[in-house]
Amino acid sequence: MKKLALVLMIVFAVASLLSAKIVIWSSENQIPALQKLAADFERDYGIEVEIQQVNFGDIKSKFLTAAPAGEGPDIIVGAHDWVGELAANGLLEPIPFLPDADQYYEVSLDAFSYQGKLYGVPYTIESIGIIYNKDLIEEAPKTIDELEQMAAEVADDEVVGFVYDAGNFYFSFPFIAGYGGYIFKSTESGLDVNDIGLNNEGAIKGVSLIKKWFDDGLIPQGANYNLMDSLFKDGLAAFIVNGPWATPHYRDAGIDYGIIPFSEIELEPGTTPKPFVGVQGFMVNAKSKNKLEAIEFAVNYIGSFDGQYGMFVGERRGTVREDVFEYISKDAGPELYDVLQFSKSASVGTPMPNVPEMASVWGAMGDALSIVINDQDTVENALNSAVEKIKSAIGE
Amino acid sequence: MSTKKLLGFIVVLILLSVFGAFGLMSLILLWANANYGLAIILGVLLVSIAFVLINPKGYPYRYMIPAMILLFILTIYPMYYTFKTAFTNFGTGHLFTRPQIIQKLLSNYYYVPENPEEYSFSVFVKLKDYKPTDDFMIIFRSLSSNELFIAPKPVAVQKDSEGNILLAESRMFSVKNDRATVNGVLYQLVRSSQDNSILSVVSNSGEKYMYFYSPDDRTTKSNAPFYLSEIRGIWLKNAEFTNPMGQQVRLNPNRLFTDFATSERKYGIKVITSIESGRAVQKNVVYNKKTGRVLIERDGYFYDIDDNGQEFAVDGYISNIGFKNFMKMFKDPRISGPFVKIFIWTFTWAALSVLFTFTIGLILALVLNDKKLKGTKIYRTLLIIPWAIPAFISVLVWKNGMFNETYGIINRFIVMGLFGAEKPIKWLSDPFWAKVAVLLVNTWLGFPYMMTITLGALQSIPDELYEAASIDGATGFQRFRKITFPLLMIAVAPLLVGSFSFNFNNFVGIYLLTGGGPAIPGSSTPAGATDILISYTYKLAFEGRGQDFGFASAISILIFVIVGGLSWLNFKLSGAFEEVNR
Repeated sequence: MKKLALVLMIVFAVASLLSAKIVIWSSENQIPALQKLAADFERDYGIEVEIQQVNFGDIKSKFLTAAPAGEGPDIIVGAHDWVGELAANGLLEPIPFLPDADQYYEVSLDAFSYQGKLYGVPYTIESIGIIYNKDLIEEAPKTIDELEQMAAEVADDEVVGFVYDAGNFYFSFPFIAGYGGYIFKSTESGLDVNDIGLNNEGAIKGVSLIKKWFDDGLIPQGANYNLMDSLFKDGLAAFIVNGPWATPHYRDAGIDYGIIPFSEIELEPGTTPKPFVGVQGFMVNAKSKNKLEAIEFAVNYIGSFDGQYGMFVGERRGTVREDVFEYISKDAGPELYDVLQFSKSASVGTPMPNVPEMASVWGAMGDALSIVINDQDTVENALNSAVEKIKSAIGE
Repeated sequence: MSTKKLLGFIVVLILLSVFGAFGLMSLILLWANANYGLAIILGVLLVSIAFVLINPKGYPYRYMIPAMILLFILTIYPMYYTFKTAFTNFGTGHLFTRPQIIQKLLSNYYYVPENPEEYSFSVFVKLKDYKPTDDFMIIFRSLSSNELFIAPKPVAVQKDSEGNILLAESRMFSVKNDRATVNGVLYQLVRSSQDNSILSVVSNSGEKYMYFYSPDDRTTKSNAPFYLSEIRGIWLKNAEFTNPMGQQVRLNPNRLFTDFATSERKYGIKVITSIESGRAVQKNVVYNKKTGRVLIERDGYFYDIDDNGQEFAVDGYISNIGFKNFMKMFKDPRISGPFVKIFIWTFTWAALSVLFTFTIGLILALVLNDKKLKGTKIYRTLLIIPWAIPAFISVLVWKNGMFNETYGIINRFIVMGLFGAEKPIKWLSDPFWAKVAVLLVNTWLGFPYMMTITLGALQSIPDELYEAASIDGATGFQRFRKITFPLLMIAVAPLLVGSFSFNFNNFVGIYLLTGGGPAIPGSSTPAGATDILISYTYKLAFEGRGQDFGFASAISILIFVIVGGLSWLNFKLSGAFEEVNR
């Protein structure tokens, strides 16, 4: 007699039911995958999902303006290092429960956690690695020493052996962290911003290595991102450090490149460089009128196997779910080479700190690196003053 | 008054009252949102518009009103807002007002106890023409005891301005032997003869609610859209049911809202009496209902204490902190330390920028103004190019293409190529050369402006003066010194002062090229060698712990005072406006 219930199964015109609407701010790349999930959600919920395209770089600042006024979207796509600032402002709703949490890479959930709570559903993970030009380098080096030798051999008037944006802390961090430097000490209840490890022995060793590259003339003075990028595109650089966003352009430029994940190159026997891991995901606005629906969309639709697989197919960036990763890598063709290599690199990385205090680290460490690279002070002094700068910026 | 005029007056009155009504409505809304500043400004505007339109004496001011409105919106209000913000801690962690945060603490924080009473549920709806309506009842089944409870549709208690329900309440009634009395009405459950499942709920007056949806019953899945959008989406998501034990029951977030569980508000508000300076003071405080502790309020934050006895900030609010932001400017060694050095450089930078751009602009203008020169139009067009290209692009070209130490054109072809220097110049990483570089680029960006205004001013100098001078046998340089330059300065001097103030705050010119760098070795402040006041304070306010709008506002007031003072001094010394006044 459940038939009576069946009698009530009336197909309603979805439009007539649209009492509420979920608005998502997403950048261009995620839209195709989201649209499919949105259609599923509309079918199941009778609630419309509107996907608005916002430049990725503008999402955070726009959200910071709109959300406090109660006019923000229900869901935003964003980077995990926004979580601290947004959550400290009370603008993010914690995700109460994530089904299949054990399928997610721990680092991706850690990245979206702030003060013990999960503030987003991650969907992609990315990291940087060493990229080399196969026309110049025959076989990938296994250690940094080998890399230095190969780079020195191949370098001539035109070709640069090794070049990367060394003055940028983001790109130099792997070598600092590889020797044991850290930004904020990781504790059980989150990051301890009062314990800074950027002038410890490991950090000094790492920065000294970077300094040596410049002193030996391995990396040209004045190296920066644009320079590295254009040299590599012109086939004039053997080794660079860059991320997955750049490789499609290198392919278009006709460069035959290989990617060495940081997990596969040794700094010293037994240790590898440790890059920052960046995670992107979906966060729910704490002031949303449709919190329940927004959480469910994030968790049950985007977070599901199908959702995450769809996001991967749409964007071709490292996935955060182990089962999706296994499914993809089963019959991975050469087109997935980049993703797999960078995912390996991420496996030895640490999430970029998501606390708001991180804002002071970039400038201070950038200063320290530029002082060291330009030989204006010793490594120890430069790092000590960087830590001092960070401390005085945080502790007001 | 003619009929025509009278008619016009009436039309104006009608339009004015409609406009006034709308204005008044916005004013009330602004006031309700505690946006007093804007409300007052709107009020002043409304009154002055009405005055100008109705009072014949106000007639001449009619044409000023649009300008006045723009002045208020674009200048006065931002100034007022900056001023107001300077006395608050507005910034990361402090975005909302205290009442907003208390409201949030009371209504947003729930906790599900360690061993909650959980209920699975089914929704029964009333049908009209075989279609479901949003008149419904819910039957709960306790997961621990299998007892049944029935609850009528919740009643909206609290709504927001758009009519969304913020809180709806209802009560759960025990079902005994498939019967329940709800608010004095007897309801009977009707069960299936096959599997004993509940098919409907019927009241003794004949009202009938049909089984419609349950998250645990897959056969009702096609009813989910109606349930989720019309029933849960409106009535249940913020509903609070009181069970017969007096506990609050809400949708359970830990099961992603597929069942109900007892949950309690984490924070409550109570009045405590404390003794302050010998008098008993009644205060509203927020307390944690679970632990009974009163939240500590300090520095614009509510602090609670976690299980380990550690204090943690729950939420922060905007509070007035008086002159703290201003005091910080003098107390903070990060500011007082490098302040003099930065100030001197800022002054030098602005003064040299004006000097270089004006000198080059003047020379080029004089050349272009020479009637013997052929192809002036082409030269003029070419010379204006630096002005026409957006600085954001050209500065990047300078940075990467020109000044790069190893690959930059200047080092590669000029310094080392042409002059054969052995070492490259560290354009962007040596403190001295970085200053040269920013000045060079700023001169390049700025001279077309000076050239253009000078060209314009030159045209206005009458030719007769030159004729007279040449008859008197003056040399070219004498003519320039005695005629051209003094007459030019009348027109150009105020613009030079303006250019000085502009460059004093020329954030883009510094930030894009060097970002304030290079860093100064051994310095414990983030001040770089080319940092001017505005770029340094940007670093302090936005590259510390999040964003500190209050502090940034205080600094911009200080910079305003400095620039204002300097400009006033400049006008005095240069006598820029004297000619006009005379």
